[in-house]
Amino acid sequence: MSKIFTPTNQIRLTNVAIVRLKKGGKRFEIACYKNKVLSWRNKLEKDIDEVLQTHTVFTNVSKGQVAKKEDLIKIFAKEDQTEICKEILEKGELQVSDKERHSQIDSLFKDIATTVADKCVNPETKRPYPVSIIEKAIKDVHFSVNVNKSAKQQALDVIQILKNEIPIERAQMRVRILLTGKDARKTKDKVVKLATTVEDENWESGTANIVCLIDPGNFRSLDEMIRTETKGTGQFELLNLKEMVEGDQAL
Amino acid sequence: MRLVDSKKLLELQNNPSNIRNICIVAHVDHGKTTLADSLISSNGIISQRMSGKLRYMDSRPDEQQRGITMKSSSISLYHAMNQEEYLVNLIDSPGHIDFSSEVSTAVRLCDGAIVVVDVVEGVCPQTRLVLKQAYSENIRPVLVLNKIDRLIVEMQLTPLDAYVHLTQVLEQVNAVVGELFTTEVFENEEASMEKKEKEALNKEDNNFYDWTSALEEADDSHLYFSPDQGNVVFASAVDGWGFTTLTFAKLFSDKLGVKEEILKKVLWGDFYLNTKTKRFMKGAQEKAKKPLFVQVILDNLWNVYETVVMRHEKDKVPVICEKLGIKLTARDLRHTDSRVQLQSLMVQWLPLSHTILNMVCEKLPSPKEILPEKVERLMCSRIRDFDSFNIETQKLKEDFLACDSNENRPIIIFISKMFSFDKSALPENRPKALTSEEMALRREKARQLREELKQNNANINRQSEEKSPHEEQEKSAEDENEKEKVTFIAFARIFSGKVKKGDRVYVLGPKHDPSKILNCNIKIDTNKKLKDLQSDEHITCAEIKSLYILMGRELEDIDEAVAGNIIGIGGLEEHVLKTATLSSTVACPAFSEMQYSVVPILRVAIEPTNPSQLPQLVKGLKLLNQSDSCVQVLLQETGEHVLVTAGEVHLERCLEDLRTNYANIPITVSEPIVPFRETIVEPPKMDMANEEIASQNVDKSNTKLEDPIITIYTNNKQSKIKIRAKPIPIEITKLLDRSADLLKAISQHIKTLQTLSMNDKLDNKMEGLYLNGTKHKLSERMLKLIETFKEDLQSICSKLGPDWKDLVNQIWSVGPRNCGPNMLLNHTADYCTKYLHHEKEIREDPRFEYEGSFVNGFQLATLAGPLCDEPMMGVAFCIEEWTLEKSFSDDISQTFGPLSGQIVSAVKEGCRKAFQVQPQRLMAAMYSCDIAVDQKVLGKLYAALGRRGGRVVGSDLQSGSASFRVQALLPVAESFKFALELRTHTSGLAAPQMLFSHWEVIDIDPFWRPCTEEEYLHWGEKYDGVNRAKAYMDSVRARKGLATDKQLVQHAEKQRTLSKNK
Repeated sequence: MSKIFTPTNQIRLTNVAIVRLKKGGKRFEIACYKNKVLSWRNKLEKDIDEVLQTHTVFTNVSKGQVAKKEDLIKIFAKEDQTEICKEILEKGELQVSDKERHSQIDSLFKDIATTVADKCVNPETKRPYPVSIIEKAIKDVHFSVNVNKSAKQQALDVIQILKNEIPIERAQMRVRILLTGKDARKTKDKVVKLATTVEDENWESGTANIVCLIDPGNFRSLDEMIRTETKGTGQFELLNLKEMVEGDQAL
Repeated sequence: MRLVDSKKLLELQNNPSNIRNICIVAHVDHGKTTLADSLISSNGIISQRMSGKLRYMDSRPDEQQRGITMKSSSISLYHAMNQEEYLVNLIDSPGHIDFSSEVSTAVRLCDGAIVVVDVVEGVCPQTRLVLKQAYSENIRPVLVLNKIDRLIVEMQLTPLDAYVHLTQVLEQVNAVVGELFTTEVFENEEASMEKKEKEALNKEDNNFYDWTSALEEADDSHLYFSPDQGNVVFASAVDGWGFTTLTFAKLFSDKLGVKEEILKKVLWGDFYLNTKTKRFMKGAQEKAKKPLFVQVILDNLWNVYETVVMRHEKDKVPVICEKLGIKLTARDLRHTDSRVQLQSLMVQWLPLSHTILNMVCEKLPSPKEILPEKVERLMCSRIRDFDSFNIETQKLKEDFLACDSNENRPIIIFISKMFSFDKSALPENRPKALTSEEMALRREKARQLREELKQNNANINRQSEEKSPHEEQEKSAEDENEKEKVTFIAFARIFSGKVKKGDRVYVLGPKHDPSKILNCNIKIDTNKKLKDLQSDEHITCAEIKSLYILMGRELEDIDEAVAGNIIGIGGLEEHVLKTATLSSTVACPAFSEMQYSVVPILRVAIEPTNPSQLPQLVKGLKLLNQSDSCVQVLLQETGEHVLVTAGEVHLERCLEDLRTNYANIPITVSEPIVPFRETIVEPPKMDMANEEIASQNVDKSNTKLEDPIITIYTNNKQSKIKIRAKPIPIEITKLLDRSADLLKAISQHIKTLQTLSMNDKLDNKMEGLYLNGTKHKLSERMLKLIETFKEDLQSICSKLGPDWKDLVNQIWSVGPRNCGPNMLLNHTADYCTKYLHHEKEIREDPRFEYEGSFVNGFQLATLAGPLCDEPMMGVAFCIEEWTLEKSFSDDISQTFGPLSGQIVSAVKEGCRKAFQVQPQRLMAAMYSCDIAVDQKVLGKLYAALGRRGGRVVGSDLQSGSASFRVQALLPVAESFKFALELRTHTSGLAAPQMLFSHWEVIDIDPFWRPCTEEEYLHWGEKYDGVNRAKAYMDSVRARKGLATDKQLVQHAEKQRTLSKNK
């Protein structure tokens, strides 16, 4: 008669998030609570018991296979399971849980919207848009947030898309350019091409003094151009980082 | 059925002495509109039966729904009395506090006011307010004690009790009037005393001093309400009856066999009828007799009510009717609702409209009798003396007094508000009834068309093709019309002269000052409109396109109007913003500003639900601004559109208007964004438990002591920077704040100098110098300003001790945006910078090339602090050391980008770190509140302030009245809906006004945890309460998408587990 295997003292883990670490050719896993690993990594959670389901290191959590002691000593060079768990928590790859992902996307979305609101103006009023309007507009164009790209990069992308939805433009930089020498005229033509509007231009004894608005994206290339074209004689000076109206105004 | 048509009204308009311009004012729900209804029904515009239920003057749907009036509207009524015919221009005004600006606009145009008081509720906050408004505008009030039926039916008082109650209410009202009077007398006395003192000083002879108060001399007998003077009506507007003592004197003089005159005098007061001697005696109260008022009037009223309403004795109704000499229709007699029966009975016995209109015509002045004081008050504000006007202007006073409509009199019209009106409802656009000839003509045309159609049957297709573009055009035209479906009508009164359609008049803005214009003789461009005007011009020229008589919901078109009337003027929307004066002469002064008792204080941010509809919203907001005198619309620096209204109800009405009338788009409303500032403070000496820190063991593990000097390297390790942050004393911050413009100019100048000096280095010295000589030198004035700024700074610094002594020479830059209240200080030993001492030039130093980047790093750091990315305030960053080893190997600069960029980020990072090692604090914007409050609710006001983190700065009693003036400070972040809370808690007896005053440090560390012995004792290791600074900081961080220390899940075990059916 075969024996019937009856698990009597089985601990069944629910609500599990697994963190894996491959080290020394072996895979180690630990069982954590959901939605807690990221806050441990961000140093918000200080109580290890709130993060770990159990202080044991597994080779496979779902099957309940515990890692061998020799392996642990061999690979981690320490015996204390809690310490090993902490190392795995720090370095291992994890499953991001629903709430964590949600809050991540949420804060990234807000970050993008804040960045867009910070960089852009309404060309009609020369004033920034409130963040809430930008958020609404971003949702309206069905922009989806990518967690792996930086907020700034995505903000620049979304500005292009938003232009179809609302009148919006990058806030312009105001710069002054001084050009001297023989090639001044030639260089000037090139410079003006990059500028959006030339506000003031005058010539005095062969020196061009130009005040113009440029797109912030062109700043680098313009700087480069003036430096190379004029061989260091031209001047490039930033007057105003963002061209916009300041102060409150009654309608 | 209307009894009087507009022709009759037009006729009456020409006789100013028979015109009465009055308004009805009262507390909310005291029965203004009901009273107006019953007056209107007397003219047959609405039915007698519907009066009190229809609320004719509440034409807006939301007014009807909520049952409160929200705007003042006017109607012209006809009244005949003693063979004279009168025109009564009646303005109904709202009673809710949110709309008291509408009351101001109404009161401004009137000569008299009907003050309605609910006898059950007595004098309420708004009653005080309207009495005050009427008093300050110098208009004569009459009193209506309304809702007497409630005393009988609801409160079930005996006639004698009711009489006592009525005298008490009357006394309350008179007490308010008396208070107003004494306050004014005291004010005048103070003013005259000041004058006297000045004179006395001149004379050097002030051993004589007058101790008698002006109050004793001032006569106030004419002010009070008293039934025997005939300016009090006892009424029940809902049941449509009302009487004065005169009414009953007439009715009973025969019955009692006494002369009407005598009876009139004794009906009110402590008189009783001695039945034996048949004489009226004084002292009814003493002898426990019934006063005559009770015996003759109230007893009878009570009788009628008790029989008809309370006991429902139907069979007795005809008997009563017979006694009173009234004939009820059979329908009324059969009516099952006894209240209706009573109403029809009372309306015939004591008709309310008749009584009130009689009193109005008798007691209130006509436009001709306008008081000279009132004229002066209209023409000049309180601050200005009438005598300071030009002679030409002073002459106009006579025109005011004459109220003459002669052609050669100047036209003077005052517009107190603009109200929107549905364009399709204008008289000229209303479909007119067709005459029979026109009908015939149309029929003929239709027949012809039909015949043509038959003939051209074959061509139909082609025709329709031709038609279609035409139709489209029509459609687009229609769309345009639809867009502007509202038009603005000016609510105006003619004070002098006669105005016709097509007249051209000057439109004088509220800031217009005749003496200026007359002195310098400015040409006025007739084609200009309001939007073309410069900030110092206030005159436009406009043609009067249409004139209307205001008839409540409707307008009647007229061709001309004469002095003394209240009219509507169309076609002025491009010339008048909110109020204006129209005149045929520029010498006419702008009417003094209206005194609003309520200032708009509820701020909300408004945005379209669909972001692309922003232009419509802006247009709608502009229209709203024009139509409402008590609304402010702002476009804030953050780009938010902020709407400032007087209160919740007002806000809701404005939103309703925006959604349905002006903008026609869905909008969302939110709390406006509240700005904060970040700062650092000196390390505190006391802990949170108010114990000295130095004498205790401080838990060192929590507060790691860091070196206040931060050392930071650029990415390529070429440059080393040492930064220390320290708080700037408040005096210097204030000075920096004040001279922001100057600082900005200096920074701009320095930047140009920098580039120029670099220019100089190169071979173009000649040109550089030339440029320097012409343009880029500071003007004399600027130099002087800088000099004074330096002196100011020096004098402040010298007081502050050794730390700040050399400040003037250390300033390197200020920020953010080159003009803020933060400083970059140069403490380096070997590098010179120039800011205020701009004459020094240093060019040889290799570091000079990167100075701009260095300053930029500082600017960026101060623009967004580490706490929650808000600007810093009052922080000085001292640069202790800056070294630069320039190596020109290209590969290094390529891996890390250009050195200038590296310096920017290094300085920014360094500043932030230096900031973080100091005790950080958040600064909140503060409102200064000025609250007028009745002394009864002073305690509740303090509680409401305390709940919102505000504090009281000062309070004092206003002389002559029972109200306090409280000055308090309140954080802007807590001010949302503060007015509402205050009103609900103080039953409307406190009226706040708020104004931004300053920034204030919130004296809690946002990262505070208990760390001293005493703190552990108080709070344990973990503080569980709310840290205000942290709460603010977290809310801003959450809004901006920055990381907060909030955990997603507090307790890991308490999450919902998805069971897997195992």
